[in-house]
This record gives sequence, C-alpha cells and structure tokens, in this order.
Amino acid sequence: MQNPSAAGPEVDLKTVYDAVVVGSGAAGGMAAYVLCSHGMKVLLLEAGKQLDTTKELKSMEWPYDHPRRGEMPPGYHPLTLNEYNVRNPPYAKDSKFPHVESYVQGWNGPDYSKNIVVDEKDHPYTGTRYAWVRARLVGGKTNIWGRLALRLSDYDFKAKSRDGYGEDWPISYADVAPYYDKVDLYLGVSGHKENLPYLPDSLFQRPVKLTASEMKLRAGLAKMGRVLTPYRAGVTTDGLKHNKYRSKCFGRGACDRRAGGCDIHAAFDSPTGLIRPAMDTGNLSMRPNSTVYEVTVDPNTGKARGVSFVDTDSGKTYEARAKVVILGASTLESARLMMLSKSSQHPNGIGNSSGHVGHNFCEHVMGPGINGLVKDLVGKPRTLDDGRPGSFYLARFRNLTDKRPDFIRGYGFEGSSGTTMIPGNAFETLGFGTSYKKAVRDYAGAYISMGAFGEVLPRYENGVSIDPDVKDKWGIPVLKFNYQFSDNERKMAADMAATAREMFEATGIEVVSVNREILTEGWSIHELGTSRMGHDPKTSVLNQFQQSHDVPNLLVVDGSSHVSASCQNPTWTIMALCWRSCDHLADELKKGNV
Amino acid sequence: MEGQSRRDLLRVAAGAVAAVPVLAQSASSAAPLFFTPVEFRMVDELSEIIIPSDAHSPGARAANVAAYIDKSLAEAFENEPRQKFRDGLKVVNNLSRQLNGAAFLESTPAQRVAVVARMAQNEKEPKKPEEKFFVEFKTSVAFAYYTSSIGIHQEMEYKGNVLQTEYAGFDASLVPIQLPDSSK
Repeated sequence: MQNPSAAGPEVDLKTVYDAVVVGSGAAGGMAAYVLCSHGMKVLLLEAGKQLDTTKELKSMEWPYDHPRRGEMPPGYHPLTLNEYNVRNPPYAKDSKFPHVESYVQGWNGPDYSKNIVVDEKDHPYTGTRYAWVRARLVGGKTNIWGRLALRLSDYDFKAKSRDGYGEDWPISYADVAPYYDKVDLYLGVSGHKENLPYLPDSLFQRPVKLTASEMKLRAGLAKMGRVLTPYRAGVTTDGLKHNKYRSKCFGRGACDRRAGGCDIHAAFDSPTGLIRPAMDTGNLSMRPNSTVYEVTVDPNTGKARGVSFVDTDSGKTYEARAKVVILGASTLESARLMMLSKSSQHPNGIGNSSGHVGHNFCEHVMGPGINGLVKDLVGKPRTLDDGRPGSFYLARFRNLTDKRPDFIRGYGFEGSSGTTMIPGNAFETLGFGTSYKKAVRDYAGAYISMGAFGEVLPRYENGVSIDPDVKDKWGIPVLKFNYQFSDNERKMAADMAATAREMFEATGIEVVSVNREILTEGWSIHELGTSRMGHDPKTSVLNQFQQSHDVPNLLVVDGSSHVSASCQNPTWTIMALCWRSCDHLADELKKGNV
Repeated sequence: MEGQSRRDLLRVAAGAVAAVPVLAQSASSAAPLFFTPVEFRMVDELSEIIIPSDAHSPGARAANVAAYIDKSLAEAFENEPRQKFRDGLKVVNNLSRQLNGAAFLESTPAQRVAVVARMAQNEKEPKKPEEKFFVEFKTSVAFAYYTSSIGIHQEMEYKGNVLQTEYAGFDASLVPIQLPDSSK
C-alpha cells in the first residue's frame, strides 16, 4: 500500500460520484469493494493518513533488535485502567506527556502500533467514562483488530422473541447467511466445524490446533454441554488465490504482540483485503487525510447531496458530491457525523427524525476471567504455541435452553494457553536465582487463561450526543458520552467469574487467580447500535438494508446499524450486512429507486 | 480484543523501565549513561544474583541487563523511575551494612546473596522499602533478560518466528462434541 491512490482515478471534486463512502475500515472498505464491483464510481474518504503498515508492524522483529524492546519512545503515554476510572474524559487534558494514547498501547510491543492508534490530545471527547480506542488511517481498526471472526444466529437476531427485551432485528439468520458465506470465501476464516445452532459455522479454512491444556478443557466442558473450539480467526490459513496482496498464515508467532497487526496480511485488514481489490476495478478513487464533518443536503429534495470535509494537512475545506452517501466511519463517528449534519430539512441531524441517532448504544462487557495451571504440563518439553493466530473460543452457554433468574442474554470466553516468546509467568514467579529460572522454564507452558465478553443490553438512555463546547484539533465539535453499564451487565459479570471457576475446577485445572472486576465501559472496542435498523421509522433509524428511513440515498453500513450487541465479536457481521446492503443498493439504483 | 492479564504484566514490566534504546553494550565497557560506576556495578551484581548463569544458560550479566536498565532510565520521560532506582540502591547498601557490616559491593558473594534473600522475603506483599524495591527491580531485570537474545534463544529455547508448515498441537476433532439434544 505504498501509494494506492496511484492505482485509482485521480480524485475529482467536480465530479458527481455514484457514491461517496466515509471511512475505510471493515465497513467502508467493504462498501467500496462491493459498489466498485458493481461498476459504480466511488470516492472513498478516510479521515486518517495513509500508512504503510507492512513497515510499521514489523511482525518478525526480535525484541532485542528493537531499541526499546518494543516500547514506545519517551513521552508517549498509554492510558491506564486507573486513569479511565478515576477521571472523566477528555483523558489527555492537562497531561504532562506530549503524546497520550489509549490503553491498548500499554500492551506488549506498542511501538509498532503507536502511529496507528490516535493521539488522544488531538481527539478529545467528554461525558461519562469510556475507554474509546480509535485508529485513524486507511483501513482503520482492521489494521490491528483481534481478528476473532464469529457469526450471529437467530438466538441474537430474534433475541426479543426469546426473552422479551428490546427489539428483534428486521432480518433473520437466513437473510444474512449467504453474505456470511461470501465474506468467508472472499476474505478467509479459520475454524473448526461444531454444528452449534447458537454459533453457526463459517466456511472454514484450516483450523488452528489446540494445546494439551486446551484439549483437556475441551473434553471436560463437553461433558457439561459447553463447547471450547479453536479460535475462529479472520485469517487466511490456506491462502486466497484471488487476492495477490495477502499471504497465507506462516504460523510463525508474534501474533501475541499487540495491539495486533499482521505484516503479511494473512489476518484480514481492509487495505489489502478490500481496498486494493476495489482499486483494481478502476472504479475507486481514495482521498486520505479527509475528515468529513457534514453530510450536505439538496435544499430542494432534502436528499443527501454529498459531504463536506476538511483536509487534515492543509486545513482547507471541500465538498464532495455523489448520488449516494455511505457512512462507515465507525459506530460512534457515524453518529457524530449525522448529529452534526443539521439543516432546515433535518433540524435534528440527518436521518434523525426518530430522535434515535446516538441512542441504544451497546457493546460488550468484559473483565471477569481466570488464570489456571495444568499441573501435568509442568516441566514438559516446550511446544511452539504462539504461532497460532489465536488460541480458543468458548461459546455462549447461558440462556440458550435454560433461563437464568438474575440476567438475560449471554457471554462467551476468549482464551489462550501455552508458551509465548516472552514468558508471562516470569513476572509472577516468586524467588530468585537458579531455582527461579528453572521455575519460569518449567511452568511457562502450563498456564491457561480466559476472559469473558458479554452482551450489553441496548437502552435508549445509553448514548452519545454532540458537545458544542469542546472541539477536536480540526475544530469539529466532539462527542459527549452518556453511557454506563446496568444491573444486567453487573449480574452477568458476577456469573462470568463464577462459571470460569466452576469450569476450571470441574476439569481439574488448578485455579491460580480469578478476576471479578468489570473493565471500564468501552474496553471491548465493540461499540454498536447508535443508528439501529428496524421496520418502524419512529423507533429506528435505518431499514433492513441500512438505508435511512428519512433519506433514501443515505446508508450507514457500520456497527451503528446493529439492533443488539449479542456476545459475539461484530466485525464479520458488519461486513456481511454491508455486502448485503450494497448489493441491494446497486439493484435499487439500476431500477431508479434511490 | 483479547484477554489482558499477561500483556498487562509485560506492561508493568516495561513501565518500570519506561523506555530507551539499548546498544549491545557489555557490562564492563562503555561508561553508564545514568548510573554512577558504583551504582552500575551494583545493578549488574544484583541482576546476576536474581538471574544467574547456570548449567542451563548464561544469566543477566551476560545478557547485559544492567546496560539495558541504565539506558532505559537515562531516557525515561519522567524523573520518578530514576529517583526510585537511586533511592532503592541506597536502601540495599544500608541493608547490607546492617547485615554484613559492609556496603553491598564490599561484602562477600555469600553475603550479597543474603542481602537479596532478605529483600525477597515478602515478595507477595512487600512492605519495607527494600522489599518494595526488590519487586520493582526484579520486574525490570526479568523484562530485560527475557526479551534479550540469551533469554529468548538460550534460556527459553524459543523456536518460533520462522515459517511453520503446520500449527503445533492437537486436532480439535480428537475430542468430538456430542451435545445433548436439548441444547440444540
């Protein structure tokens, strides 16, 4: 991705494009790819910069070949859990550090992603506490995503019909399944078939294998009716003949280094998985450093006319015009943009006659988890366990056939075990000297840990609004959060910790530690639902094809449209829904219906 | 995103030594950047007692752990970690005088180990200044050692970061899942 704009037609702001797409991550990238494949002329605007992530990520670099063993330069500060919890945003305000980044930059090897994650100083927000992780560059967060690629099922799409809470989605699994298949085949997903109705299988490429401790847990859980399955990774493990920009997984390791990223692009990222192929159609023009701040409106029709954006280098503003405006700026940024787009036709913000934009904001609650020790593995010869793009996923088991008295919906666990390049237990093992060294060696591969991701219920009062008093670096008013977990999430979290212990004990894994604390709102980086789909224009923002009820030539194709969060990671669903909506849009345009 | 515990630990480790380049610098060659020569020798000796050379692999001295810590502290953005280290080393010397009647480096090898043993005695819940310093110091030493070439290749015998034709481990289908009909 040295200079992708060279591959597409020059950006021409005098042209009326068939579509302008805002944002280039999973949603925007997919929209650009699908619409260009239909022969439409597309302009893709990305707020962030163009970055050669192959050079940034350097996945093969040894820690000792890096001047700071992977740490960021002096003056870069990652926010800590404590900072998120004891203060209110904007978190970087008055910080003594020249650069402040989100908590993911506190993980192992943050120097490789310091230019990918935004500097909080330039991107403030206000209101209630929220750990908001943003990546502004071509490809967005797909450049560093955790790559767990799961499907939703009718246990999710029709959850209201099952327990009465919230709203059903205006679609069912049968509507989306063909598009999940398309995403699987086009982008590649690794996994093991399990035939679970509540966690549908994908069209899998070669699965990762399980460590001895994971096999032990899988066997023990099977007796309890619960399923531990190899990590379902949005990674091509067999290769993709149709995509020359991505390699198959080398299984070489360093996937543990986070915040994420894969410099051979075996893990899906939007730039190599979607944007490059879209450019190869000859129909895509892309403009990075273009922060959209308004959807413009045709004063005669009230329809979208295009978008206004600021060039983040020069500070100059421009308008780009198109027949259709497609927002894929992320759940929170798309909501911000719609609320900023006020006009006489749309005094509440474009597409917001329902007053629901920014509301029903939901995500995943996390924090509770467990660390355990498999004693049989202590002192055993070491295996190479971190060459896998992920370890395991433990599927939801609550409120499927049973009904919990204390909470609705469910949660799954992501976990890992085995050896890593840098032994984590070196920082927990007591003592010193030769016995300490030996203990670190002997125990390094014997630990297994997992943490839960639970469904946060959408509630009208949980949301974001525009804070007119605070502006970002480019003078655009920022988001104000009014969002917090409810009793359902707290009771679910208590159950997560209890079942984690129960499952380890039942399978003979020694419990080393159990974490019961809930992490700050936002920690999951799975924000969803600020412009939900629905049949009723009074209580929803979009129709089942992510098209605005109010403005037929405005689509919102990112996580904004999700009606509920489910407990599965959302990226694969975002892309399947976007593909479906863009196919429908192309059809409607041909029929002259938009 | 994934679980955070292990990475948080590494973060804690790295945070203690905020950040800095390390050139391959032997413990005895170039002048230290932050430590005084005496402090540097203390850090070198303490790190080698915590992670010594043994029959299995070379230890912290061979891995230039003291040089890494020195450079990290020299470049740290804040003054606090530098002051903590300097104060901690003074505490070690005071403890040594109390136990051995001599400063740490003037004590015998066995006496030095006795000082470290005293520092390490409450590692789980450190209270005294020397106990707290031990936990921080050891974290820095462990990070520098286990990210070094010696730590990764010789001590831990890590075999990754090269192309693997197959993932290591077991095929999940060896444990078939047969759920009761009621859960389907």
